[in-house]
Amino acid sequence: MIGTLSGFLAGLAVVPELAAIVSFVDVPLALGGVGDFLARLLQPDTLVRILLEGMGKAAIYFMIAVGLTLVFGLMGVLNFAHGAFAMLGAYVGGIVLVGTISAGSGVGTRLLLFVVAAGVVFAVMAAFGAAVETKLVRPIYDRPPTYQILLTFGIGLVLEELSRIVTTLRGIQPEPTWSAAAGTIPAVLEGSIDILQETLGINVRAFYLFAAAGGILVATAVWLFLTRTLYGLYIRAGSEDSEMVEALGVDVRRAFTVVFGIGTGLAALGGVFLTWDPTWGPSVLLNIDVLLFAFVVVVIGGLGSFKGTVAAALVVGVADSFTTWLFHTGIVTFPGLPEVTIFLLLVATLVVKPQGLYGVEEVGGH
Amino acid sequence: MSVLELEDVHTYYGESHVLQGVDLQVEAGEIVALLGRNGVGKTTTLRSILQLTPPREGTVRFAGEDVTGLATSDVANRGVGWVPEERRVFGYLTVEENVRIAVGPDGEYESLRDEIFTLFPDLERFRDEEARNLSGGQQQMLAIARGMVGDNDLLLVDEPSEGLAPMIVEQVVDALREASAETTMILVEQNFPLAMDLADRFYLLDQGTVVESGSTEGVTADDERIRRYLAA
Repeated sequence: MIGTLSGFLAGLAVVPELAAIVSFVDVPLALGGVGDFLARLLQPDTLVRILLEGMGKAAIYFMIAVGLTLVFGLMGVLNFAHGAFAMLGAYVGGIVLVGTISAGSGVGTRLLLFVVAAGVVFAVMAAFGAAVETKLVRPIYDRPPTYQILLTFGIGLVLEELSRIVTTLRGIQPEPTWSAAAGTIPAVLEGSIDILQETLGINVRAFYLFAAAGGILVATAVWLFLTRTLYGLYIRAGSEDSEMVEALGVDVRRAFTVVFGIGTGLAALGGVFLTWDPTWGPSVLLNIDVLLFAFVVVVIGGLGSFKGTVAAALVVGVADSFTTWLFHTGIVTFPGLPEVTIFLLLVATLVVKPQGLYGVEEVGGH
Repeated sequence: MSVLELEDVHTYYGESHVLQGVDLQVEAGEIVALLGRNGVGKTTTLRSILQLTPPREGTVRFAGEDVTGLATSDVANRGVGWVPEERRVFGYLTVEENVRIAVGPDGEYESLRDEIFTLFPDLERFRDEEARNLSGGQQQMLAIARGMVGDNDLLLVDEPSEGLAPMIVEQVVDALREASAETTMILVEQNFPLAMDLADRFYLLDQGTVVESGSTEGVTADDERIRRYLAA
């Protein structure tokens, strides 16, 4: 086993580009301490921590990606402005949090105001998304997909630049993140959960459990909407054949607006969670960074599939959590490992199952 | 008053001029067959009526109202149902959901559903099954049921026997007869004897225009005017 791994690493090092990455691996550990590594990984507290933090990350990826997949499934539109909607959600949420939370606010108040901020952001951004769909996207439905990609990418860039200008003028940027907004997180969510640490020795950052709970609530709400409402039925049917849905008397254009609005609201909701996320925080960089993650989740899960988005978000979240652990424990010193791993997962999915985990051969389009 | 009137309808796909001035009328309670070789514009005529491919010139009048240029959903909500070619049932929805979607938010769904399942008892057995798991004949029944459930005044039926075994075709014909008792129908069908058996009148299309029309009574495939346009 050890020989195999060392041979593998030596083989990689022959290629100059890969040698650069291999150099980040803790070679003594890789060559001689595989047993040690496995022993550390397989400790119950490590596995539980990776899993729980992975679920928290997955919850946020899910919130952002589910809107993207619903919009593509029903409308056949690849929305490149989706990351910008999450970014705006983080900023609007930040404005509400900074404006309402003071240094003296208790834990309960902060959590309550977070819920209020999430509700406000969802409502405001859903309305904004509906307006974008009606005024900008709708006029080009009959054009080739390239037009939609260029338009939505352009909307994303405009929103990013506008945010950059506003945050610079307000003195919030060029800090990497808006620390005042990120700082509204209650102390209890910043640390690990005492009871888990004391009783089981598990050191899990409480924020990730908070995010996981939020993700489960949002996923349940979206699932109930899709399966228990007439509008959800229209959306599921429209994902298969929107022309047929229209011929049955359903105003598909209105359904497009509703779905685009809900998708935007959900992305923004994910953005509100990112405000408190220790690895993200509100930043104009969210536009592209989050968009890439969302696309990876959507492609791995299968374009247009709700179930696939849930599954892929979990895969990506746990992979992110695992590789972050590798970095934090010093086993790998390459800081881009989570991103590289996640994109390798994407490539592997495209090679092995191009339609994704739950995707059908052909979805979307109208 | 006619249920449907098409007056000098011209429809294009891009630059391709498919319907080149179609005129036809359908009276209440009739079954009218649209005949013609592949590519003469039969399906396009149905699509033009529904405004799925809106005509560039001419008028489509339904129940006396000009519906040219309206949204497809508005035409459908005025009482036009569609049983498309290749069925196009929603494969990932259950049989019941396929029926449910055809009833608008204000429709009396439960009574309409019970009526449909009485008419198509086979479908009731599979009501919780995803439609993609049904056989071709069952999917065709479902497509017809879905077209009927909206309480439509006009049903546009496109190639209902296509790809089905003869025994299944008989069941489909029975279903269409049941449907015709409740609604006026336009039937596009390549199976000439079947079309003549079901329809009261026919329109024969060639190169995007109506070249013959009349009662189906006594018309056979040997009829010179039919042979000229239907022979391969």
